[in-house]
Amino acid sequence: MNAQTSVVRQMVWKDIQMHRKLMASLMIFGAAGLGLFLVKREPYTVLGGIALFTALILTSAFVPGSNILNERKRQTLPFLMSLPISAIQYTTAKLLSTVGMFLIPWTTLVIAAIWMIAVEGVLPHGAIPMALMLLTLPFVNVCGITAMNLVGETEGWNGAAQVIFNSVPGVIWYLITLSPALTRDLGSSQAVWNPTVLTFLGSEFAVIVLILALTYYLQSRKRDFV
Amino acid sequence: MNDFAVQFQGVSKRYKYFTLDNIDLQLPVGQVMGLIGQNGAGKSTTIRILMGLVHQDEGQVQVLGRHMPEEQIAAKWDIGFTSEDLRLYDAMTLEWHMGFIRSIYSTWDAEYAKLLLKRFGLVAEQKMKGLSHGQRVKAALLLVLARRPRLLVLDEPTTGLDPVARHEILRELTGAMADEECSILFSSHNTQDVEQISDQIAFLDRGRLIDSSDKETYLDRWRRLRLEVPAGIGLPALRGVIAVKQEGRIAIATANAFEADLPNAYERTGARVQRVENMTLEEIFVANVEHSREDVNV
Repeated sequence: MNAQTSVVRQMVWKDIQMHRKLMASLMIFGAAGLGLFLVKREPYTVLGGIALFTALILTSAFVPGSNILNERKRQTLPFLMSLPISAIQYTTAKLLSTVGMFLIPWTTLVIAAIWMIAVEGVLPHGAIPMALMLLTLPFVNVCGITAMNLVGETEGWNGAAQVIFNSVPGVIWYLITLSPALTRDLGSSQAVWNPTVLTFLGSEFAVIVLILALTYYLQSRKRDFV
Repeated sequence: MNDFAVQFQGVSKRYKYFTLDNIDLQLPVGQVMGLIGQNGAGKSTTIRILMGLVHQDEGQVQVLGRHMPEEQIAAKWDIGFTSEDLRLYDAMTLEWHMGFIRSIYSTWDAEYAKLLLKRFGLVAEQKMKGLSHGQRVKAALLLVLARRPRLLVLDEPTTGLDPVARHEILRELTGAMADEECSILFSSHNTQDVEQISDQIAFLDRGRLIDSSDKETYLDRWRRLRLEVPAGIGLPALRGVIAVKQEGRIAIATANAFEADLPNAYERTGARVQRVENMTLEEIFVANVEHSREDVNV
């Protein structure tokens, strides 16, 4: 491993160390939601689903602000930028740590949720594609909010990112309910991966890739960093 | 090997309401340069360009033989930077910060870090949020010094410190200079601090470098002459004199290129030289700024 990779790795590890408590709290909140699934009664399942989704949305909203914007607000950015890194390496470190800190609870909770459906049978297997589509939305959120915090650098941009990316899931939920191709197999005993579902999931990941690429492009054009 | 730790050639940076204009600066290896200027003079912008954090619009910057900002990563391995507005992580201890820096720099000197902890009266287990301003400055300096950089860049390191803390910090900086390969560039609006440890001094005002020279040359070159001017005698403009202020029969001439013959030259005009005084760096700075602003306003 070369020295530069090591600096980025140390920066990512630093961010994770500093956010351990926040991440643990959100994980517990999400896990509590999943626990409600095990009651296997509809009101608890709905409540558990809301808690799980809320935990992921909160993670996607809190972590970028705390991990990126606070470096500027609390004036720790000059300390980081005095290290042997460039603005692009800083961007890499922050993307890795912010998205990584989201992905740890996200992956855990998504796997647990799918396991609850697939193995514990808390919902019909037909709900698996829908669960994945909906649970990927906070992943898009965290990438969008992270990007806007990195590029915009201000509280205003963070606020705008929160408004945009936290209101979009509601709209998408509504649009999903209007699409029979996405909803008709919800009660099926088998997961149905029809082209509309796959296109939806593919679009979510394409948006993530686009956001990350755009972030790198805009960061590479900056002439003043601190 | 490059003889200069820092070289600025024709460096300019334009903002909407401020321009850093055509800066030429050279800091020889092993020397201390004090960058003096008022708030808003351009000291921090100069330092940020030096660190590669702000890209100059024009001109060349070389730090430890590396072109900035292109080679900032390589250069920053050997630069220790701290500034008045730099903060460490409030929720973490100084020990954690030391571990973080040690994990990055193989040059970290644990024994020296321990010594600095003792000299600065710092407790490694203490969280940053519990430290006073002076302790925070010392902590930041410890993190910089203990990794033995070849160039120290310090932006207003003594601002807001009590005299004892200032003394401790200046003493450590002087100690760092025991390594002949180590160079220091530090900015301040406190001329006493600069005078105490600098070899080279550069004056910045309103984004322009108005003068730059070694300290001894400054102190030799600048003099204040108290003159008694008989009625009817007009003082001519003499070479090396940048300002003459006269009230009644008493005039004060400020020379920025004093030569031994200057008092005689005044005597020859009919004036009587009462005293020739050395000037402090602060007086030199103020006279320099006033003179440069007159030039600009003409």
